[in-house]
Amino acid sequence: MDGIHIKSVSAHFRHQVKGDVAAVRDVSLDVRPGELMTLLGPSGCGKTTTLRMIAGFQEPSAGKIFIGERDVTHTEANERNIGFVFQNYALFPHLSVFENVAYGLKIKRMDGAEVARAVTDVLALVGLVSYERQMPHQLSGGEQQRVALARAIVIRPRVLLFDEPLSNLDAKLRTQMRGEIRELQRRLGITAVYVTHDQEEAMAISDRIAVMNKGVIEQIGTAEELYRRPASVFVARFIGRSNLIEATVTAVSPGRVELSIAGRLHVIESANAEVRSGQTVLANVRPEAIAIGKGDGSEGIVKVCTYLGEKMEYEIEVAGQMLQIVRFNPPPAERFELGAAVRVRLPHEGVQLLASD
Amino acid sequence: MKVVRARIVRDPALLVTVTVLWLLLALFVIYPLLMLAGTAFAEDGRPALGPLMSVLAKPGTQRAFVNSLLLGTLVGIIGTVLGFLFAFTVSRTNLPPAWVRLIDAMTLLPLISPPFTTSIAFIFSFGPRGLISYELLGMRGTNVYGLTSTLAAEVLTYFPIAYLTLRPVLAAIGGNLEEMAFSLGSSRLHAFRTVTLPLALPGLANAFLLLFAASLADFATPLILAGNTFPVLPTEAYLQIIGLFDLKGGAAMSLLLLVPATFVYVVQRVWVERGYFVTISGKSGAQSAIRSVTPAARVALIFLCLAVAFFIGYLYALLLHASLVVAFGANHAWTLAHYHVIFTEGRKAITDTMIIALIGMPLGGFYGVLVGYLVARREFAGRAAMEIVSMINYALPGTIVGIAYLIAFNDPPVALTGTALIIIACYVFRYSPTGIRTTVALLHQIDRSLEEASKSLGARSVTTFRRVTLPLVMPAFFAGVGVVFIRSMTAISATIFLVSIGWTLITVRILENMTELSLGPAAAFSVFVIVIVMAVTTCVNALLRRLPAAAAEQAQWGVGGG
Repeated sequence: MDGIHIKSVSAHFRHQVKGDVAAVRDVSLDVRPGELMTLLGPSGCGKTTTLRMIAGFQEPSAGKIFIGERDVTHTEANERNIGFVFQNYALFPHLSVFENVAYGLKIKRMDGAEVARAVTDVLALVGLVSYERQMPHQLSGGEQQRVALARAIVIRPRVLLFDEPLSNLDAKLRTQMRGEIRELQRRLGITAVYVTHDQEEAMAISDRIAVMNKGVIEQIGTAEELYRRPASVFVARFIGRSNLIEATVTAVSPGRVELSIAGRLHVIESANAEVRSGQTVLANVRPEAIAIGKGDGSEGIVKVCTYLGEKMEYEIEVAGQMLQIVRFNPPPAERFELGAAVRVRLPHEGVQLLASD
Repeated sequence: MKVVRARIVRDPALLVTVTVLWLLLALFVIYPLLMLAGTAFAEDGRPALGPLMSVLAKPGTQRAFVNSLLLGTLVGIIGTVLGFLFAFTVSRTNLPPAWVRLIDAMTLLPLISPPFTTSIAFIFSFGPRGLISYELLGMRGTNVYGLTSTLAAEVLTYFPIAYLTLRPVLAAIGGNLEEMAFSLGSSRLHAFRTVTLPLALPGLANAFLLLFAASLADFATPLILAGNTFPVLPTEAYLQIIGLFDLKGGAAMSLLLLVPATFVYVVQRVWVERGYFVTISGKSGAQSAIRSVTPAARVALIFLCLAVAFFIGYLYALLLHASLVVAFGANHAWTLAHYHVIFTEGRKAITDTMIIALIGMPLGGFYGVLVGYLVARREFAGRAAMEIVSMINYALPGTIVGIAYLIAFNDPPVALTGTALIIIACYVFRYSPTGIRTTVALLHQIDRSLEEASKSLGARSVTTFRRVTLPLVMPAFFAGVGVVFIRSMTAISATIFLVSIGWTLITVRILENMTELSLGPAAAFSVFVIVIVMAVTTCVNALLRRLPAAAAEQAQWGVGGG
């Protein structure tokens, strides 16, 4: 099993108006053998460019790329032994399902009987028994995606690369397919890089996630690490929903930070004490971590309340700032109507202090 | 730049292909034009403006120049208006499908006919012994030759180009936008004036330029119909060379054609690059229930279109009739003698044309696909230059290309005069650009990810081209093959200078028949060419429909994304 090592890779391209633009800047990434690493970020963040450089469709302007021990920086895509699954599936429209899947095997000059066996096996693996003779345009989106997947894995690639493979499917199928992809990747034990802009998809499918923004990696970690301990405002905003509350640090002691939020003092337990007294920071508080009710806490006014079945979502204005608050499975009696005055209490744990951009 | 060079070195197949193509383009596009310029701008081996000046000083030349521009402008305006009316009628008046097919068939005829067809039919209809002028109106000694008939014949020959250009434009503007205008309370005329017409304007301008260029380059119609009273540049240059053996004068005169031709080319390129012709986006919804025209206007439009269509049909019927009677206008007894003549005396022209067409077709088709693919998909130094150079012979009037080839390949180092090769090369490099364009357009529809998928599965670029790209651009290949074939059968303006005793062409034989006043065989030849071209285009179209790639394209497969 091979890992992927990306060392200080950059990609430049010429833009008609802006001139020389860096799509990817000095990115380094280690994908462990057998791991599924997701590149997550908004469109234009450089995630697809990074993936295409791993595949060899695009050459980095600086840096090196290794697959296993082998430096493939200047190796053509057809000599890298990769499997690539495209957003639009990229099935050859003039070839049948069988011929599509057999394409890579025939390139390798595998003999006919072996090809037939391998294709039948892999089609069974992706749940497409007896689809051999169909043409791509006769298949549904999900079936096309499975053919694309079969075509990519049948050549036994060293790494499997996915470029937003589910974005053309409807929501239900998307959830199902991501489960299947994850299951297959585990079963084959193949190193994979997966590109998506959908944070839920990323969290569901990945061993680790690299969050990208403006051509650089902001943070690498498991879904939980990214959610609980975002390293930047961007990550906090991009992974899940968050309230970023302006605060001033008034005192720092080991494991404890005292903050002044809108004139009120608030103490949190904090592991990352890289703050000093007097500093202005953003406190990242997740919507479900804020308590509302009567009694003590800051005063707020309910501006929006939305009933969503298993949860209630509120937007509450506190000291001029809007806070998003989610209450999961609230008791039937708990209901704060529009315009009601409520008390809001911030938690003492799980609050991240982030430098404001 | 560094990356580009690195890639081309690493892909030897690309390097070899590009080098070979450049050698061919240099030999068959650049070299002849340089030789032409060298002849026109030199006197006794030294660069000089003398020959050009002396040609310019002739009043005949000046008249021909003015006449060419006048004719081109008139054909452009009238043809565009007619084409627009046809396109508008077909897209906006809920014409019964059968009538649309009739109109389409009639407008297609001039596009696939040999160049003299309309002219010959005009003589049959309006000439001294013409059906209308002599038989019906009883006119004696009518003169069919001159501006009016040349103009009418050229308009009928070329307005279908405007129709075909404007039809998709009007379809793209669609009923929805007009409906919007109606819903905002505007009248039909107001909607037409403020919505439809302004949106169609770039298309109209493009159609005008196309017709202007076509008329400017037209050699056959004025040669037959313009007569002595209305000389134009292509015919004057031809007479200068073939009649007076004045190569230098003919070369200089043909270069005068370059002035308006370059103007048209530059305007079009600039416009295309600025995206003026981008089709209007948005769904072109189903035929709207609201009529875009009043019932009276509808009747008038349909009447006009059908009248023109019937007139074209009448001209071709006349041609067919003339090919089947002893002497049209004098002896209307049925005979197959003219067909006997073309298959005996004219046999060499037919076999020569067929051989040349059959060799030219695959070469032209493959060349078009290859250049189109390289230009649209690969990166190499000089790519943009290759795209432009490959279009030059197509954009230039045939007279210039023909004279340039005549000068360039008459003497060593590359003496090709008298061979079939010179004619084949002329056709391939002059008519394959259609295939190039189609390939580029098709490749823009096929997502790059298909080729990347092939590459990721281990295929080299040559394998990818052969097994993925080529099958998918097969429609373009056949389109290119079809155009080369049609042109091999019908073109004359360039090849009239290149035929020899060894190799001649049907179109040239038709011209000879015309000058010998044997109109019967000329008509028979024309009918023969039309039938063959129709048969072959029908076959190619049927083949195209059966291609999986074409079907896939209809299913909008492999489009978008990335």
